Amino acid sequence: MIIIVDDDADQRLALKLGLELSGYPVREAANGAEALDLQREHASRFLITDIFMPESDGFETIAAFRREFPHTKIIAVSGGGMRAKHDYLASARLIGVDATLQKPFDVDELLRMLRSMETGRP
Amino acid sequence: MLALASLIPLAAFGGLVAYLLVQHQRESLSEAAQSRALTFLTAVDSELDSETSALRALAAVPSLSDGDLAYFRRIAADVLKSQPNWLRITVSSPAGAIVLSVPETTRAASGRAELEGGLAGTVTAAPLPVGDVSFDPDFSRWVFPVHVPVRRGGNLNYVLSATVAAAAMNDIIAAQRLPGDWGAVIIDRNNRFVARNWDAEKFIGQLASPSLRAALAKSPHGWFQGRTVEGKEVYSPYWRSEKTGWAVSMGYPTSAVGAEASRVAWLLGVGLLLALAVALLLARMISGRIAEPIASLAGATDAIARGVAPELAKRTDIEEVRKLEGAMLSAAEAVRERKTLLEREKHALESADRAKDEFLAMLSHELRNPLAALTSAAHVLKIADPASRAASEARRVVERQTKQMTRLVGDLLDISRITLGRLTLDLDRLDLGEAVARLVNTWNASGRFERHRVTLDTKPAWVDADRARIEQIAANLLDNALKFTPSGKAITIGVGVEGGEAVLRVADEGAGIAPGDAERVFELFVSGDRAGAGLGIGLALVKRLAELHGGSVSVQSAGTGAGTVFVVRLPAAAAPANVDAAPLARRAIASRAVLIVEDNDDARRMLEAALALEGHVVRSAANGKSGLALADQTRPDVALIDIGLPDIDGYEVARHLRAKHNGRRISLVAVTGFGQPEDQQRAIDAGFDAHIVKPVNPERLKQVLAELA
Repeated sequence: MIIIVDDDADQRLALKLGLELSGYPVREAANGAEALDLQREHASRFLITDIFMPESDGFETIAAFRREFPHTKIIAVSGGGMRAKHDYLASARLIGVDATLQKPFDVDELLRMLRSMETGRP
Repeated sequence: MLALASLIPLAAFGGLVAYLLVQHQRESLSEAAQSRALTFLTAVDSELDSETSALRALAAVPSLSDGDLAYFRRIAADVLKSQPNWLRITVSSPAGAIVLSVPETTRAASGRAELEGGLAGTVTAAPLPVGDVSFDPDFSRWVFPVHVPVRRGGNLNYVLSATVAAAAMNDIIAAQRLPGDWGAVIIDRNNRFVARNWDAEKFIGQLASPSLRAALAKSPHGWFQGRTVEGKEVYSPYWRSEKTGWAVSMGYPTSAVGAEASRVAWLLGVGLLLALAVALLLARMISGRIAEPIASLAGATDAIARGVAPELAKRTDIEEVRKLEGAMLSAAEAVRERKTLLEREKHALESADRAKDEFLAMLSHELRNPLAALTSAAHVLKIADPASRAASEARRVVERQTKQMTRLVGDLLDISRITLGRLTLDLDRLDLGEAVARLVNTWNASGRFERHRVTLDTKPAWVDADRARIEQIAANLLDNALKFTPSGKAITIGVGVEGGEAVLRVADEGAGIAPGDAERVFELFVSGDRAGAGLGIGLALVKRLAELHGGSVSVQSAGTGAGTVFVVRLPAAAAPANVDAAPLARRAIASRAVLIVEDNDDARRMLEAALALEGHVVRSAANGKSGLALADQTRPDVALIDIGLPDIDGYEVARHLRAKHNGRRISLVAVTGFGQPEDQQRAIDAGFDAHIVKPVNPERLKQVLAELA
């Protein structure tokens, strides 16, 4: 089971369709709070979260998951932002995400990532 | 005699030219030096910004506010390891008392962060809160702190600080690749050295030279001639950062300023001296009535060089001297104008440059997001059965996202067209209220308002306008409101006529605008300083389009967090004498009030979107009873009714509607999953005019509505 967090409905939808076709059940959340609610209801193994969401900072989502659900694998994605030099993904790695992807990314690459996390092999 | 006297004005003029030439030489040198200082400062700001970035990520760890400090300590230790220049991470109360320190050191154990007075004030006031340099006995090194506020629910709970080795800043000076005999320094808010390329060990933590301190006290940036702390004679450009309060300065030996300037100055100086000698000689020879005005003119050259209007005390009756006076007065005026113009241009260029960098970063973000959706959709289309639901949804994603990108690119092109004066309007008499309502309905149907409480109140307001541009204005205002208004808050859209003007008002309960920033929101590339803010094009486009229509746009906000109201005013036009006259008639007939009663959310939204795109005014209900109530309120022209509703079935809804609205013609269309002839017959018997089979084909829907018109 995978939770996708992104404020953009189309990005969630397209990614969800892609992952479902490869056999992963997916739940969607538009912000970090929604994702936490979903996870408390029923724990997912993977979290794919955007870092630059308007209402909730992706960092907070990541840190909250890390603490409450230490076994959930977290993949952070980002399309960059206001500050040219600001590396959001590097900051995300600092607070302990398992992998990062720069938007736009190839779904096959994400699938490879998920599989290696499942088997525990790189 | 007079011919000889004319030599005197010539000499005076020669002196003036010499002075201006030297001045010009110095000015261009100073400009080059100052732009170098600004580059240097930008590098320093960036470095401090990236130090803060890691701290900001750490500040998001929620255990800080939950009191789980053991967990926080572990993460902080990891982060500390990853940052080569960081020596210590501390968490302090807003008052400055240390709550936690990694690693535990004696200085930290003493209980107070060595930080200037009200820590809370520092952290909230500066855009990039950086402290001052000090000697840290625990590490025996010079250090400075960077801070990040930790907020929960709007309150400042803690201040998170990192102690950074001052030596980190030496690398930035090295990266400037200065010529060998140039010096460069970084100083803190107290004017003490943080880093220095000459004799760093000796001077770090010491006060900067008196001449630099005096210059900084006078103006946040500029250049001066003075002495370094070790007594070297230098020219120095300097610049203080608005973000951190730190400053940078460079010094290069006065001898290096270039023999060119001194040679020109020397030659012209000799020329001036000669001319003055001749002038003195002549002045003695001719009467005092010439000498006095000339003396006054010589005094005036000083004033011209300073850029102030010269005062000419004595009037003279010698024609040539009077003319010279006039010429000097206008020269003085020209010098002054040029000076202010240069300053203004320089300032504009600097802020344009900053805005450009932010714009490019945002543009890449705005393009990456639709690309992310498109890449995922392409993946789906590559592997899914083309007839599957997944494939059709992916195709819709592609459609929507390409539309969005097209709009973005369109806005960019329009801005450049308007800037170049190449945009022409296709004017038409139209109702602003109807145009806005149509757009709002389309957006509503596509689900864009799902997360907000959107209300629309339009009255007819006729204008002579370009329909596409009016939609662009409204779309950008709505886009802006959605972007800056949190979920669940209200957005209110109103159109009406006020005092001879058609007025569109979009009010939100969103982020608001800080006092003083209100007019800046319409500047190109200026955007809100927060996550999700856009490119800074939309509102600039609104303003320019409104002005092209002879109108205006204004904004009001009671301050940050207090919501915002945008008001567009366009010159009102008379309502057409006969609203039924062509070509408006076609539009009026084409656009109808349609009621949808459908319990399946996806199906309902699809119908809403298809109808709204055709220009119909759409209302919808999710069950039979609320459908009937809505029909009473809104008196639709057409009702599309699903047969399998959760409460009362579609046949019954139809019977009720027929009975109640007997005197008035309402067209009823059944929407069912059954397509057999007997199903159709049953629908006709219940009072339906037409029957459509699910899934509804938009073309078939269009055809049925046309037949019923």
